[in-house]
Amino acid sequence: MRAGAEEAESSGYQRVVLKNASPHHYLKVRLVLEDESARVSAIDLKTFITSCLRSLFGEVGAALNVDVLKYDEETLTALLRVPSRGLVKLWSSLTLQGFYQNRVCAFRVLQVSPFLLALTGNSRD
Amino acid sequence: MCADLSRTQRNLLVCERSSFLDEKNRVSSQMEQLRFNYKVSVLLPEYDSASSHLESILNSFSSFYLIKQLPLYELLDKDFLQSAVYQGSVYGLSFRTRIDEDNCVALMPNGHLVFSLDKDAFETLGLEGRPSRSNRTSSRYEVTVDLRDGSMAPGGRGYLRLRRALMSHLKLQMDFLISHHPGGGASLRPLLSRCDWLERRPEVSRHGLSRLVRPALRSCDPHDLLEWIGAVDAAVSLENSSNDFLSTLTCLEPEATVSRAMSMSACGLLLPQDLQHLVEELRCYLQQAQTDSWASVTVHGFTDSPVSWGDGGRDILTGGHDLYNLLMFPDHTYRLHLAAGAQKTCPP
Repeated sequence: MRAGAEEAESSGYQRVVLKNASPHHYLKVRLVLEDESARVSAIDLKTFITSCLRSLFGEVGAALNVDVLKYDEETLTALLRVPSRGLVKLWSSLTLQGFYQNRVCAFRVLQVSPFLLALTGNSRD
Repeated sequence: MCADLSRTQRNLLVCERSSFLDEKNRVSSQMEQLRFNYKVSVLLPEYDSASSHLESILNSFSSFYLIKQLPLYELLDKDFLQSAVYQGSVYGLSFRTRIDEDNCVALMPNGHLVFSLDKDAFETLGLEGRPSRSNRTSSRYEVTVDLRDGSMAPGGRGYLRLRRALMSHLKLQMDFLISHHPGGGASLRPLLSRCDWLERRPEVSRHGLSRLVRPALRSCDPHDLLEWIGAVDAAVSLENSSNDFLSTLTCLEPEATVSRAMSMSACGLLLPQDLQHLVEELRCYLQQAQTDSWASVTVHGFTDSPVSWGDGGRDILTGGHDLYNLLMFPDHTYRLHLAAGAQKTCPP
C-alpha cells in the first residue's frame, strides 16, 4: 500500500484543455461519377484535388498540402488530411467541382473531424 | 470584406495524465459521462494469451434491443416507467436518424427524455424548449423532459400534456436502440412486449498487425498520439517521406517498433459499465505484462446522438462525434484524451 501511495504522489495529476489546437483536419470523401465504370487511381485523385484547389484559389490554393491517406478504388472513397487553416479552402473547392475529365462528377464529403481517430468509428456507416 | 477562410469550427481536446492510484483520478466517472457509445477499439502490443480472454470480454458485453418504428408515446407507459426508467439505468437512442436532418430522441439513464427537433416538429409538439444555437437563425430545437420529476408521474399534468403531444399533436415514430443496466431485457419487457423488436449483440472484430512503428507514448504531443492511433485503426500507411506525392503522413518521433500487435473492436449500443469492466480487465493484464507494455482503448460516441458529454445538448453536427482514448501503462499511470464534437460542451 505504501509503495502504491508513493507511486501516486510521484505521478501527479495534470489536465490540459486544448482549444482549436489541432494542426490538421481529416476528411472522408467519396467521388461520385456519372459514369460508374470509370477508373480513378490514387494519383489521379490527388491530381484532381490539386486542380480543384487551383481552379478556385489559384496557385496559392494548389500549394496546400493535402495528403491522400487512404484510397479505395472500388468505392472511390478517400481519407484526406489537410492543415486546419486550409480546411475551408479544400472543402469548398471539392464541393464546387462539377466535372472530372469532362464527365459530370460530385464530391460527397462524408465526415470531417480534427481527429483521424474519429473517422474510424462513424455510426452512420 | 473577406471572410477568414483559415478559421475552423471550435474543437476541444482535454488531455489528462495521472495514475489510477491517485485519489484525484476520476476516469470511471468521466467514462460514464459519455452515455451513448457506438464503438470501442482496443490496441495491444505483443499479444499472446490476452487475445482470447479479451475477445471473451467483448463478447460478454450486454445485449441491446432494436425496436422498429417505436411510437414515442410508448415510452410513457406506466409499467415501462416503473420497471426501467425509475429503477437502474436505461439507455435509449433513436436509430438511423440524422442530427442535422431528422428528429432525434434520446432517453438517458437519469430519466431525461431529450428531443432534437426541426422547427416544424418543435412548433407542432408544443412543448417548452430552446434553440440549439444561441443565435436567432437556429433551425433546431431541444426539448428536455425529466421523466423522474414529480410532475411527470403518470396521471400528472406534465405527463398528460406530453402524452397528448406525442399521441395527437406529433406522432413521432422511429427505430429505437435501447438497453438497460442492470436489468437487461427483463426490465424492458413492458415495452418490448408491445413492439416489433430484435435482440442484438455487439459486433466483435479483430485483426493482427505486424511491424508497427510507435512514437514515444508517454511524452509525445496529444494530437500526434491520436493521429498515430487513428492511423493504426484506419490501416493508414505511416511509411511515407516528406517528398511523397500522395501522402506525407509519418510517425513523428518514432521510438520503437512493435513486432506484432492486435486490434479488436466491438460495435453496437455499448454500456459505460461494460466499458469500465473492460478497462479493469486490461489493467489486470498490464500488471502481468512487461514494463514497456501498454494498452490503448478508444471509445466513439454516436454521431447522431442529441446528447453530448454529460447532459450537454448537441448543436448541428460540425466537428465530429464525441470520443475518448485511454492509454494505460503497467505502472498504473495513464493518458486520457477526451474530444468533444459539439459546439457548446466541454468534456468532463
